[in-house]
Amino acid sequence: MAKKSRKGAAKAVNGSAPKAVLTDRDKKTLKDLVGLADRIVDDAQKKRDPYLDIPTRALSNVRYNKAKRRIEMGSNKNRRQLFNLSQAKSYMQTVLVASGCKQLIEEGKTTSIRGLYYLLKHTIDGTREETFDDQAECDPVIEDVEVGLNSLREELHVYASNRGNLVGPLTLIDSGDEIDCSRMGSAGYSIPSIVERQVIDFKKCTAKFILHVEKDTVWRRFSEDKFWVKHNCILTHGGGQPPRGVRRMLNRLHNELNLPVYCLLDNDPWGYYIYSVLKQGSINLAYESERMAIPDAKFIGLRSRDFERCGLSPSVKINLNDQDIKRAKQIASYPWFEHKKPWQKEIEQMLANGFKLEVEALISKNISYVTEEYTPQRLADGEWLD
Amino acid sequence: MAKARTKTAPAKSSGKKVDRLKSGRLKSADSEADEAEDEATREPEESADEEPTTAVAATNGHARKRRATAQSMAASQRDISVSEFFAKNRHLLGFDNPRKALLTTIKEAVDNSLDACEEAGILPEIWVHVQQTGPNRYKVGVQDNGPGIVKKQIPLIFGKLLYGSKFHRLRMSRGQQGIGISAAGMYGVLTTGKPVKIISKVSPRKPAHYYEIKIDTKRNLPEILNGKGEGEDIDPGEKGRQYIAKHGIEWVELDHGTRVTIELEGRFIRGRGSVDEYLEQTAIANPHVKLHYLDPEAGEGQLDVRLYDRSTDKLPPEPKEIKPHPYGIELGMLATMLQDAKAMTLSQFLTSSFSRVSSAVASRICDKAGLSTRANTGKIGRDEADKLFHAIMETKISAPATDCISPIGEDLLLKGLHHVVPGEFYIASTRPPSVYRGNPFQIEVALAYGGMSSANKVPLDVLSELLEESDARTLRQFLSSTFYGLGSDAADQIIKEAEIGPRTSPGKLKTAEVAKLHEAMRSVNLESGQTMNVLRYANRVPLQFQHAACAITQMVMNTNWRAYGLNQSRNQLPTGPVTIMVHMASVWVPFTSESKEAIASYPEIQKELRLGLQSVGRKLGMYLRRRLKVKQEGERRNIFLRYLGEVATAVSDINNADRKKLYDQLLLVAKKKTSQADAKLDERGRIIDEEAEDLGDNVLIVDPTENFGIRNLEAKNGQKES
Repeated sequence: MAKKSRKGAAKAVNGSAPKAVLTDRDKKTLKDLVGLADRIVDDAQKKRDPYLDIPTRALSNVRYNKAKRRIEMGSNKNRRQLFNLSQAKSYMQTVLVASGCKQLIEEGKTTSIRGLYYLLKHTIDGTREETFDDQAECDPVIEDVEVGLNSLREELHVYASNRGNLVGPLTLIDSGDEIDCSRMGSAGYSIPSIVERQVIDFKKCTAKFILHVEKDTVWRRFSEDKFWVKHNCILTHGGGQPPRGVRRMLNRLHNELNLPVYCLLDNDPWGYYIYSVLKQGSINLAYESERMAIPDAKFIGLRSRDFERCGLSPSVKINLNDQDIKRAKQIASYPWFEHKKPWQKEIEQMLANGFKLEVEALISKNISYVTEEYTPQRLADGEWLD
Repeated sequence: MAKARTKTAPAKSSGKKVDRLKSGRLKSADSEADEAEDEATREPEESADEEPTTAVAATNGHARKRRATAQSMAASQRDISVSEFFAKNRHLLGFDNPRKALLTTIKEAVDNSLDACEEAGILPEIWVHVQQTGPNRYKVGVQDNGPGIVKKQIPLIFGKLLYGSKFHRLRMSRGQQGIGISAAGMYGVLTTGKPVKIISKVSPRKPAHYYEIKIDTKRNLPEILNGKGEGEDIDPGEKGRQYIAKHGIEWVELDHGTRVTIELEGRFIRGRGSVDEYLEQTAIANPHVKLHYLDPEAGEGQLDVRLYDRSTDKLPPEPKEIKPHPYGIELGMLATMLQDAKAMTLSQFLTSSFSRVSSAVASRICDKAGLSTRANTGKIGRDEADKLFHAIMETKISAPATDCISPIGEDLLLKGLHHVVPGEFYIASTRPPSVYRGNPFQIEVALAYGGMSSANKVPLDVLSELLEESDARTLRQFLSSTFYGLGSDAADQIIKEAEIGPRTSPGKLKTAEVAKLHEAMRSVNLESGQTMNVLRYANRVPLQFQHAACAITQMVMNTNWRAYGLNQSRNQLPTGPVTIMVHMASVWVPFTSESKEAIASYPEIQKELRLGLQSVGRKLGMYLRRRLKVKQEGERRNIFLRYLGEVATAVSDINNADRKKLYDQLLLVAKKKTSQADAKLDERGRIIDEEAEDLGDNVLIVDPTENFGIRNLEAKNGQKES
């Protein structure tokens, strides 16, 4: 029925498309996918209504592991039922994503989450309704399948688009190509979505530490000022909230090459949360914390007291709005911030200030103030939040 | 109006001399504009009337003289005849404009016919014939199969205002005062100069009587024009038939019956407030009547252009005549009754003149009034009458007997409504009789839900006809004034759909545009913008005008229909495809005016109306909830079904399961799940079987998909319980 409306790729699966050589991991993932489908068939035969149990991805279902200093996922699950009016569609979408992943694995191909969205998007037979209205509807479903099958995105042959760059005295092998990250021109090395060992191997590194900044503008400043040469470090950014590729890269560099990680982020709730995600893992993808979290990461700035200490112009202040205040209080009450006095003070002071600061604010003082004075001084003083 | 009437002047002048003089006078009373024109025909005494005025005008030039003296004024003070009064105030009787005049004429004739048939115990069969005889001129013929009228009464009944059998008794009937048909005849003579023609037959063997009559408005007496002032007899045999044919008398061959033909100035319209509507509504409330209706557009020689056949052969039970109840009396009336009573004791007077007054009650009244039960009525003075009146009001007297009212009955209400109004759900409720001001009355309410609006089903040719006839200025106005239950919102929607400018004049549409409009009227869903259609009846007579002033409309608006599943703005008519019919039966219906168009709001009547409306409302609510449930269940199943195919395909893609088999199995589960989800639980968590919730008697549910599939829900429920 629905097959007719699907084009090309779908036919290839059932047709005579050459089957790719499957790795052991692929076989395991396939087995999981088939298991999921078998359960549905089984339920239908027994006239039970089929369901999928998907681990809850919310603050209520994460636990802060004090010993390991990272977020772990709890055991709460959301039951997604086919015969529930509000869940019927997302159930259908989940099964659809599973079948799309199965097809990718069998053909030995990978695609971006956007590609998968287009692969699965079609009109439902006999209606004018689309399986997915937009990509935003598809992305969380892909995450659901990842969590539900307890497999990683790359195991499902899906990746996100690249975001985040790296520059520094590091040589690595990316899909067989040797890359010297100190000779990548002005834009640096673009960190891929999947940086697992089978894709990337570190060959040589002379850097002493990693400096992670929030966004491209600041990263460019550091790169242009050759901060990484002067201080012998690796310089990365994640374009705001760092994608999993960047986080996994930092995690590997930290653990495998023993490089400490310092973060230079905005002085606002979102900056705090980026730090929190890098350090403890994210609430949404708590099951990946083990691979992603860097519990030793340090927060060097911007600090709430920097406005006065650095003598910044009042015009760089951005007033806190209601949402910011709410979010700041929420972050302050997270278990992993709750008992850290310096952090509580930091957040309190920001709320008392009534404004937030972006790292870019330092540029207003002097274009290279951030690279030549601010950061070196903090690093030299060892003044950071943990 | 004045202009239209001048056209008729030549026709008048061709009449006899008396005729001409009369009509001239009547007209002068009617309108200033015509006065000048008819000056020449005035009688001398009338110009004498004007003398004082001219005298005043002449003397006015001099300073401060009295304008008129008591003597000069006395010269112009004289009797006013009833006929003269109503000729001047024709709007009081429903002859405000030509359109309404035509309708009122037919209405009065049909009402009289029905009353006569029912009183004589004859199943009524009525012929209504409207024929156009000139621009703005129509000939109306109404014939019945009633008992006929004896010869000497005919001129009085049709030619004298306030002459009749119905005024002096308390008995449920359509007519009340004895004004209607004679007023219609008077209006006809006034506007066209043609006499009223009556033919009446009492028995097949006896001759039929044929009269041509005019009202002498000055004396309020009939003036017979044919047979040298005596009327003519038509032989019952072949000879009579030839006579009828020769003189062009209209008559449907019957054993007995009456036909009245009135020619009048009028305007024939369709849609709201039309003759069509009146007859249709009459058919609803009188399911025992067979109605033949020949409208002006009917071709020659056709007999039954529109036939409303009867849906029952049972005559309504004969209403009984009752004596007035003491609570309904007023002081002045009591005094008059005392005066008129022959010499008898007070106790005798009370028990014989009123209903529900036994000698015990009479003595209690007399005690309270401080009068002797044996006092002679002739000796009761003004003060005693006053005491007696207050004593009556203070004494507890049981409510009047209510078996004098004959309601339509729930069964026939349903039948009648279903016969004429398309719908899917019908409910009727007859309230027990009640009393206002000592007059027994009874309220009946019936409701039809669903079905299409008249706008949805109007045929193309009728629509173009309607458009041509309409005097509405804009298309929008035309739509909302022509079709019942079509609000301005819905009209806008239709016009938009038809892609015609909203301000287009209805008469100027091109053929293609009319077709487009027709298409739009069919396709636009009018349910949402449709307002409730309220049909009002008093003693089985439809009330078509002054709806806002009527207690029925007011109570419908005051009822909270939202509780019963309809949309309603505050104190407005609810919206939706609903027709509600409210009937008030009473020995004396309290109309707000003599044109009998609106019922007055007595608290007792309001209360009964409210209860009646609520009782049909509750049932409607139950039906709508049940319907909604079925709809929701269907929708729910639909949502599941939509995704089942996708799920089955995806799963079989993953594990190569048999797609068809999986789909069928999932389908089964879906059905099981939806039925479970829809079951409602009571407080104790048990499943309530909503079907068992009884809609009760007198409910008619029609499957909208089939036209005649009527099933009685009651019977179905009965089976379930057993």
